[in-house]
Amino acid sequence: MHLLGYLDPGSGSMILQILAGGVAAIAVTARFYWNRILKFLRIRKDDEPAPEQQADSA
Amino acid sequence: MQTPTETSQRPEDSRLEPGSFRDPESRVFYAGGDVYRALSQDGLDDFKALQETKLFERFQADGRLVRTELLEGTSAVPGELLAKDCAGVLRHERIPFVSYPYEWTFSMLKDAALLQLDLNLAALEEGLILKDSTPYNVQFKGSKPVFVDVGSFERLREGEPWIGYRQFCMLYLYPLLLQAVKDVPFHPWLRGCIDGITPAQMRSVCSFRDRFRKGFYLNVFLHAKLEAKHGDHGKEVKSEVKKAGFKKELIVANVRRMRKTIESLSWDPPEGVWVAYGERNSYSDADAERKDEFVREVVTSQPWNLTWDIGANNGRYSRIAAEGSKYVLAVDADQGPVELLYRTLRDEGDEQLLTLTMNLADPSPSLGWRGLERKDLAGRGKPDLVLALALIHHVAIAANVPVAEFVDWLASLGTSLVIEFPTREDPMVKKLLGPKREGLHPDYERVNFERVLAGAFDVERRERSSAGTRLLYFARPKGTGSPIDLTAAEG
Repeated sequence: MHLLGYLDPGSGSMILQILAGGVAAIAVTARFYWNRILKFLRIRKDDEPAPEQQADSA
Repeated sequence: MQTPTETSQRPEDSRLEPGSFRDPESRVFYAGGDVYRALSQDGLDDFKALQETKLFERFQADGRLVRTELLEGTSAVPGELLAKDCAGVLRHERIPFVSYPYEWTFSMLKDAALLQLDLNLAALEEGLILKDSTPYNVQFKGSKPVFVDVGSFERLREGEPWIGYRQFCMLYLYPLLLQAVKDVPFHPWLRGCIDGITPAQMRSVCSFRDRFRKGFYLNVFLHAKLEAKHGDHGKEVKSEVKKAGFKKELIVANVRRMRKTIESLSWDPPEGVWVAYGERNSYSDADAERKDEFVREVVTSQPWNLTWDIGANNGRYSRIAAEGSKYVLAVDADQGPVELLYRTLRDEGDEQLLTLTMNLADPSPSLGWRGLERKDLAGRGKPDLVLALALIHHVAIAANVPVAEFVDWLASLGTSLVIEFPTREDPMVKKLLGPKREGLHPDYERVNFERVLAGAFDVERRERSSAGTRLLYFARPKGTGSPIDLTAAEG
């Protein structure tokens, strides 16, 4: 099964949806930026490839 | 696997829709006058999931989703598709005439946007989502928007955002904002760019004040900023978004928020259009009635399949045309009266009269990849009757198209024709000629017009208004009618 759609969702557009989700988005926004901070401070290494990346390189 | 029997059953006229190739999971083709969709295995699985939802029946029943059935076998599929991955075939109800968003009025694009969002909300409730957000997936049956791309539904994948959000902004939200807030028609932009308006472009046409207006800050300003900052990190961001736990509730919240924004947008034609909408042109009452009768007699003299009323204005004659035609196109360059006509027809629940706004001196061309994705007007279905009332002077004098050129174009449609010719003495013609150098448009003259018309059509009938400055003609394609002698005195 393919995991990427034929349409590019746009990375800025994806982040915007997190910020714009209102109450439903608070926890997700926090997690999203917390992960980014950890990555920036090099406390967390880059993630292992997501499933779609594996599918792509196959 | 294809069998010899299936091959022999395949209609010979099957052909792919050249505009349907962007989504690899589903491709549209035509065979024997019907519309089909060939699905890949993924596409078929998505369709089966859709079939099991309540929305599939509900939206078909109220006409908002195109009628669709899954066929057994793939015998109708053209050979080139079978060679690839075709797991299933759908048959769709045929839409009488295809139209494009750059031909719609403001309210038509808004209604299409709301339909798209309502379908998405209904889909999300049942574990599906629309994978794209293009208005080219909506068609109009008269004044009723119908979602035609059943292949757009897919099963919702956990952790993914609303993939179609950016496309929705570019092809629905920004065009509507542009017209509602800036009073700039979206049509030239949508016609000029098949993908619509980018967030950065939309940001560029906004003022500081705009960021305080509903829908602007998040969807335009912040959107453009985030896109500029993160534009090159698509894959990375997608996996971060997933990791942060993007969930369905978030998509629903975003779609609902967008619906509220779209709902709040409005655009009204200038005041003069409202006043003129209910009025007649420079006709006396008796002449207006005679003109109605002339048109009515022609349209009810035989059944017509498709009538184009070009220069339709407030749609008075389109409505008369509908008395004897299966389907009518009401086309006018001025969006104002077409918008008002659409609203009236929508209130009536009309499904027979399609309103479009288009300048006939610069009509919709063939567009997109290889010029095949969007067709010109005649490429979508030729009319068997054209009404060109109170139009030729605008085309010939205001737009400088030679009379012979205009008549030749009409003849190339192979249609019957009701055409009105206002003479040079007509007040409207005088007004159009007024600002021009004297002696211009020598071809705009009755005898020349009649000579050209009789050369291209069989003119069967001519009638002059009592004021004497307007003439009506009924003509059939050359070689199919019983022509009268136009050089003889008027009877």
